[in-house]
Amino acid sequence: MHAYESDFREPLINGNKNYTIITDELVGPTEKTYTGWWLLLIIFGCLAGLFVFCLSWTVFFGIGVWGLNKTIDWAWDITNFVWWIGIGHAGTLISAILLLFRQRFRTGINRAAEAMTIFAVICAGMFPVFHMGRVWNAFFIFPYPNTRGPLWVNFNSPLLWDVFAISTYFSVSLLFWYSGLMPDFATIRDRAKGKYRKMIYNILSFGWTGTAKQWQRFESLSLILAGLSTPLVLSVHTIVSFDFATSVIPGWHTTIFPPYFVAGAIFSGFAMVETLMLIVRKVFKLEDYITVNHIESMNKIIVLTGSIVGIAYITELFIAWYSGYMYEQFAFYNRALGKYWWAYFMMMSCNVLSPQAYWFKPARRNLWVTFGLSIFVNIGMWFERFVIIVTSLADDFLVSSWAYFQPTWVDIAIFIGSIGLFMTLFLLFCRFFPVIAIAEVKSIFRTSSATAKAERAKELGQSSGGFVGLTTFGILDKDAKQ
Amino acid sequence: MEDKVYWKGLEELEQPSQQNDREFADELPVLGSIMEPITTKGTTSRRDFLKMLGFSTTAAVVAAGCEMPVRKSIPYAFKPEEVTPGIANYYASATYQGGDYAAVLVKTREGRPIKVEGNSLATVSQGGTSSRAQASVLSLYDGGRYRNPMRGKENITWETADKEIGEKLKAVKDAGGKIVIYSATIPSPSTLAAIEEFKKAYGADHLVSDAVSYSGILAANGGAIPSYHFDKAKVIVGIGCDFLGTWLSPIEFAKDWSKNRKLNGGKKEMSRHIQVESALTVTGSAADKRVVVKPSEEATFAVDLLKAIESGASGNKRADAVAKELTAAKGAALVVSGSNDPNVQTVVNAINKALDSYGATISDSQTYNTKKGSDKAAADLVAGLDGGTIKAVIFYNSNPLLTHPQAAKLKDALKKAAVSVSFSEVADETSEACAYVCPDNHWLESWNDVSPKTGVYNITQPTITKLFNTRQAQETLLAWSGNNTNFYDYIRAYWDKNLSGKQSKFTGFNALWDVTVHDGELVLDGDKTSVGTWSGSYTAPADAAAAVTAAYGNLGETQLKVYESVAIGDGTWAGNPFQQENPDPITKITWGNVVLTSVNFRRKNNIKNDLELKDYQLVKVTANGQSVTLPAVAVPGVADGTFAIAVGYGKTVTNGAAGNDLKVGQNAYPLLGMIGDNYSFISKATVEVLNQEEKVAITQSHHNIVLKDLGGIKKRHIVKETTLPEYLKSPDAGNEDRKEILEELVTLYYKHEYPGHHWKMNIDLNSCIGCGACVTACNIENNVPVVGKDQVIRSREMHWMRIDRYFTFTKMEENATDPADKNAPALPAEEVDVVFQPMLCQQCDNAPCENVCPVAATTHSSEGLNQMTYNRCIGTRYCANNCPYKVRRFNWYDYQAADSFDGKRVGKMWANEGLLSDVTNSMHEPLARMVLNPDVTVRSRGVIEKCSFCVQRTQEGKLAAKKENRPLKDGEIKSACQTACPTDAIVFGDGNNKESVVAGLLQDPRTFGVIEEIHTMPNVTYLTKVRNREEEAKAAGKEA
Repeated sequence: MHAYESDFREPLINGNKNYTIITDELVGPTEKTYTGWWLLLIIFGCLAGLFVFCLSWTVFFGIGVWGLNKTIDWAWDITNFVWWIGIGHAGTLISAILLLFRQRFRTGINRAAEAMTIFAVICAGMFPVFHMGRVWNAFFIFPYPNTRGPLWVNFNSPLLWDVFAISTYFSVSLLFWYSGLMPDFATIRDRAKGKYRKMIYNILSFGWTGTAKQWQRFESLSLILAGLSTPLVLSVHTIVSFDFATSVIPGWHTTIFPPYFVAGAIFSGFAMVETLMLIVRKVFKLEDYITVNHIESMNKIIVLTGSIVGIAYITELFIAWYSGYMYEQFAFYNRALGKYWWAYFMMMSCNVLSPQAYWFKPARRNLWVTFGLSIFVNIGMWFERFVIIVTSLADDFLVSSWAYFQPTWVDIAIFIGSIGLFMTLFLLFCRFFPVIAIAEVKSIFRTSSATAKAERAKELGQSSGGFVGLTTFGILDKDAKQ
Repeated sequence: MEDKVYWKGLEELEQPSQQNDREFADELPVLGSIMEPITTKGTTSRRDFLKMLGFSTTAAVVAAGCEMPVRKSIPYAFKPEEVTPGIANYYASATYQGGDYAAVLVKTREGRPIKVEGNSLATVSQGGTSSRAQASVLSLYDGGRYRNPMRGKENITWETADKEIGEKLKAVKDAGGKIVIYSATIPSPSTLAAIEEFKKAYGADHLVSDAVSYSGILAANGGAIPSYHFDKAKVIVGIGCDFLGTWLSPIEFAKDWSKNRKLNGGKKEMSRHIQVESALTVTGSAADKRVVVKPSEEATFAVDLLKAIESGASGNKRADAVAKELTAAKGAALVVSGSNDPNVQTVVNAINKALDSYGATISDSQTYNTKKGSDKAAADLVAGLDGGTIKAVIFYNSNPLLTHPQAAKLKDALKKAAVSVSFSEVADETSEACAYVCPDNHWLESWNDVSPKTGVYNITQPTITKLFNTRQAQETLLAWSGNNTNFYDYIRAYWDKNLSGKQSKFTGFNALWDVTVHDGELVLDGDKTSVGTWSGSYTAPADAAAAVTAAYGNLGETQLKVYESVAIGDGTWAGNPFQQENPDPITKITWGNVVLTSVNFRRKNNIKNDLELKDYQLVKVTANGQSVTLPAVAVPGVADGTFAIAVGYGKTVTNGAAGNDLKVGQNAYPLLGMIGDNYSFISKATVEVLNQEEKVAITQSHHNIVLKDLGGIKKRHIVKETTLPEYLKSPDAGNEDRKEILEELVTLYYKHEYPGHHWKMNIDLNSCIGCGACVTACNIENNVPVVGKDQVIRSREMHWMRIDRYFTFTKMEENATDPADKNAPALPAEEVDVVFQPMLCQQCDNAPCENVCPVAATTHSSEGLNQMTYNRCIGTRYCANNCPYKVRRFNWYDYQAADSFDGKRVGKMWANEGLLSDVTNSMHEPLARMVLNPDVTVRSRGVIEKCSFCVQRTQEGKLAAKKENRPLKDGEIKSACQTACPTDAIVFGDGNNKESVVAGLLQDPRTFGVIEEIHTMPNVTYLTKVRNREEEAKAAGKEA
């Protein structure tokens, strides 16, 4: 008798599998070379090079090569920062919170999502560093002992909180991701043919042998890290939102920001996971492991968080009106109908309107719709940050100082370049690391796979004279074909 | 044994901390923790000693291994008597450049003049300065200055120049050709004497013509302009006359005018100022009432006014109303006109005569020596050169090839001259066309005298050895006349001969000379405000009135008004980067001139003024057969049908590294017309709207203040104003809400304590005229970089002090329409009010910038200053974002060439001369860097900077008091903006000193802080603007 799971639940692993097949299929991508992969790596590698070039350009000549001015001192730099940090949220949410809530569907996507988190945080971290006018003095932001008094950092500054929040988040995420990788590295090692390959993966797996003690410690570590990172998921973006919420600028100074930013971050994070996973499952033929069921679950989270974000937008407008505070009122009037109305329009249509399609099951389960909407959400969330940062700064208290921001080629190239860096890292990850957590998928094989469920149906059918569950709903047949 | 505390007496026991004993109010943390155990308690253990020894040895070894930059500082071999390194010296002097006179104190450091301040002992400029006078110190270090005498493009020696020019002049004289010295007005009696010698030696003529002409008013007043006393007038009417900004003697007039505009200390009266004008000027902006007329009506209005005063009704209702007010103030009224038409000035004289102004507000026993030019002389020069009668010409203090309306003709005619010489200091249009250049010294390198008015004499004294191989023009002329006296001796001899006897204060000449050189001014005996009779009569007022009506009756619907801009003047300052970047008070435009048009013109023609991208549509203005193409900028308050263009721009010749960056705008002088023998600044014109755009370097975009949006804008507590009747009813009129705001200022957090001083500033919006003197003064004092046109277009000007300009309506309720709205009804120009607000770091006691800096680079001092620590700043710019006043400035590039990281050199390699403009690079030349104030850090790339309340001055003042062991006196420390202000609108002082002026002003019911309700607790406060108007009283209490 296997562990019990309701047969009404869709299987999370489709197709006729056994452990060997799973290992073959999941380790496979690390053992082959794909022409398409090389092509993509070259393209995105060039973009990553562009990123390095443009940052060097900025450091050589000064921040003046960006389109900023005396009134708008942050624009694309911090927009990109918050956007990437937001994207980096899905990984930990999937691995930590869903682990604690025992959502088994996480196993198919958590590895890639965590990797995405790490890479997104790397991209995000570039911006607060390189937006500094004197990046060579960036170490000033760390509270290190010094002979200048000693001169301490300013613990009142949200930017300093950012430093701690992001570095903590990055280290915990990295630890979580890497610890999960160890058994899988061992699997790759065990299948490895070449001497060096074996050696490298052995080192990477920290000499994992798969003893019961190791597994037990592994499980404990996962739980502890999940417990540690759960508050982080909420805290990181909360603290990022403090950059704005604790300021005095109308449109920034709002208490709604922490929940609104966290919801937005999860929203954009899931969208990015979808964008990537839809490609990955196709390219590496992992449709059996990343099923439409997975996609649908994520789409549900997207429609939920998208609606939270939408409510937040409307609440902001309402509160601006209700507060009777004219600067706030003007800031939001200006946001929607001012000189950056087009950015607000992009934000509203992509973030609030487009995910509403997911109230309908056919849309949730349609891969083309999902891919399109995931791109929309990413665009919309970038514009959300742009709207918050730029429109609020452009027209604040003193009318005399109102100004307009226009990006330069460097601004644009740095943004595109950061996508290049992200994708380069992700492509390297796909090629050398198992994209799906092999051990974790195997752990749900006996409960949630189509194979197990079919076996179970067969057993039940023999003993009780026929079971209507899965076959009646036609899920098995249909999904098996996808 | 425990440490015992000893005390000298009860005073110390009871008041252990004496603020005055220390330079810093706080304990300095330096060495505290390390040194204490060793020095006082003696508890340092052997281990501690070894630890410190080890550390210091290691540190010394490490430090010695690093390559240290070598800084060359060369000590004086023989210390000059007056120079103490680090201590500034001040020398009284006077400047007269481009028609601008100011008696000043020149601040020098280690022998370098670095700043000018007003000389408060001077009776004409009364300690005030203008932005031009402030900026003139930079002209000394202009890279475009001539380094040697030149023959064409070739450097020659003075001996060669003297020999060759002397021979040629002699040849011309012998051949019977005429020799002419062509100059602007020379108010220096000694120079005039030197010119007389030259004239005698060569039978030469001296033609005097000013670029911005006053020949009309001179003609109407018999050749000398009388003194106007705005401080004695209760009703002032200016007709097309920017007397606070540019006309005649603006520093003096601003000083005088402001005396009756202040309501401090419970004063209940202020003068009534009515301005009749077509384009908007700073004077019009400061007026209580603007009568907006077409340019031609600036002339005919005077005729109507005269008629109305004489007969009670003129048929012009607006003139009748003004006449009524003037008549009521008979004996204390003053009417001035900026017209260059003698007929108009005759009519204005008749008005003043009818109002009994002579002897009351006008004194014609004391006349101006600063404006003596005749337009006929300008015409004579062209005719003489062209006709071949003038064979030799010497250009002194003038640049007619830029400023002469017939410049093109003059250029051709000049080729016919046998010899042409320019005395110009810098390469300009005229000097480039001359055969010889005999460069004059800069005024800061020269001995000279200036007599701005009858009986008032100032000394100009050199404050630096001449930088180049130049020679004072006077000495050159004397040398050519065979007199080899140096000019210093010459002036002394002249003064001894001509002035000693006319005064009774000093007995010996040496005493007179020494005191005058020290104080800067000598006033001769005689009551200079005595009643004179109106003697100057150009023609009968009735004939003049008829001539005016005939001349200006039908100039048509489209008229051109050519004016002088506050920053650039007649063009003398077009080569000065500080002035080019000082925004025009009205348009807020830098680096170039534009065509000012009415808002209705823009609406009707759908002219593009893109406020975001700063693209402005071009128009082609044609007048008197000449045309210019410039961007059209609609300005509220400009009369319909008026197109106003500033002169002085459109340079074609520059020499320094700034090069083409200074060749901005178009030359408007050729557009001038003639009226009789005089140039007319008003002409019939045609305007063609072109389908092209140009970027305009504007620092503040127009007309968003009156957006008809959620109703929020007008309630912003940025500027506050009221009317005099309302103010008299309740002194907090317009500022009623402040009480409520202050009551609601509660906080959970601790407040800073200010045990010693608490610096505060108060700015009177009533007397601020927006002239921008403070802006330039601040730039020079604090080494604020010039960023150039491109960077200003990108909204990156670095000014610490800026002047915000807001438009509003006299009757807000009726006119609250958005001028950007093309369907809005016509905008009546007359109902536009202007408010100027100097905006600088507000030094908030609860500063939003301070808590957001991650590295604590901007902190709060115990004296209430927000301090910027440049070497700690990493440039996150969070502070600038969080500043509600947007006064923080970021060094986007290496504007000051102060960075150890030389991006500029790389820039030259990669990005075609880097990304800095030529003008910014020109300020990096070693010559230009001599102007830097050594007391103020030069900021490197990537750091934020902002107003420091001139902390170098407060520290200096505190130190002086400490050394003399006395408390600091109020008024001892003055900020740079404060000393520059010609209207004394800015007051700086210690708020903790209850006796101080600023502490008193804080109690004034008119005092308010900008957007105080967000609890920034600014230390800069403003006084409500009060307009002296009765009928518009109902609009009181409006805010912008």
